[in-house]
Amino acid sequence: MAANDIEMRRLVIKAFHMTEVEFGDENKITTSGTMTLNNDGLKELAAKHSEVIEKIDIQIIKPGDHDRYTNTIMDIIPISVKVLGKCGEGITHTITGVYVMPTGVDTEGKQAHEFGSSEGNLKDMLYLNRAGTPGDDDYIISFDITFKKGMGQERYAIIDAYRMVEEWMGTFREQLKKFEGTKATEKHEYYDTIRPGQKKVLVIKEMIAHGAMLDTWIFPDQPSGVEGGKSLIDYGSMPVMLTPNEFRDGAIKAMN
Amino acid sequence: MGVGPSTKETSLHHFRDPLIKILGEDEGIDLMGVLVFGSPEGNEEKIRCSRTAAVVAECARADGVIVETDGWGNLDVDYVNCVNEIGQRGIPVAGLNWSGTAGTFVVESKYLDDVVDFNKNPEGIESNIVGENNYTEDDVRECVKRLKIAMYKKERGIK
Repeated sequence: MAANDIEMRRLVIKAFHMTEVEFGDENKITTSGTMTLNNDGLKELAAKHSEVIEKIDIQIIKPGDHDRYTNTIMDIIPISVKVLGKCGEGITHTITGVYVMPTGVDTEGKQAHEFGSSEGNLKDMLYLNRAGTPGDDDYIISFDITFKKGMGQERYAIIDAYRMVEEWMGTFREQLKKFEGTKATEKHEYYDTIRPGQKKVLVIKEMIAHGAMLDTWIFPDQPSGVEGGKSLIDYGSMPVMLTPNEFRDGAIKAMN
Repeated sequence: MGVGPSTKETSLHHFRDPLIKILGEDEGIDLMGVLVFGSPEGNEEKIRCSRTAAVVAECARADGVIVETDGWGNLDVDYVNCVNEIGQRGIPVAGLNWSGTAGTFVVESKYLDDVVDFNKNPEGIESNIVGENNYTEDDVRECVKRLKIAMYKKERGIK
């Protein structure tokens, strides 16, 4: 930090790394890096969304174990939770080492996509180690959604599906929120900084806002979440300004 | 997310966005913020929203702008209009955009010279491979370099 920099607000992201992910008695994460999943509640969860959802299947994909079929990949989502403060300041906890990958198809076999789909062999259809994709050593939770006939193309059904994913994530978020900060495996501090005398640079991001599967939401209650957020379509697609820290704190949710 | 599977940005991409990371770390840049606008379907709306983004850049007295999108095809209409409107306002502009061979700009502008094509597919196509045609830290560094040169040229009055 240069001498005359002005730090406006601080965001601390604490990461808790998972090294073992397997099925067990309950949905549970620990600070020692173990995650267990239990699929007993999935029927009940799907039933709550039965207007648009037929069933859910959750599989654990181990690092490197990608020679397997996948339905079209809808998103890759980190599990994060606000611990203190508003979006863009305070403390956020996030899980690393495992990411949630919702995939979708309908009962007739039609993939949930709009323009081009990524179903096929996972090892061929997912490019690893990008900012937006898991790394070589990461686990993937395949959250495979079977929509009711034709529902994989309906905007309200896709939104409902993402709400369902977030509902499922809630158990982990509750536990993650209570994790002792000192046990984090990584700690990142970010500041919204004004740097007088330096060149003022603005980033403009154009994001899709067409409709079903081509949608972007902003300002969800939880990082990379859905609830509380709104589609850019609802903002009339007009520009909305975010601080760098708001952007870093999961203020944008891809919704296709 | 964007148009096709290989170019679309996941929620994880936004959370770990290399563009915000690199600009935030650059002590020679006063990062103003991230202006997000939607790409609607209708042409009139596209022109209005992308123009307003350029208006914000002018009114906030930006010294330079980086325009990025994960879409192509009809999303080029708003993208190019935005870059054009910024250029016409005399503000140095660089960008990140996927073109490859399949997604080259469908509209033209003389201000597109500093837009970095972040295609990664060997054939330059929308491969449907999630994450393949996403920008990386290297693309961002190239883009920031171009913007810095453009800002320097403006300051020194170099054409």
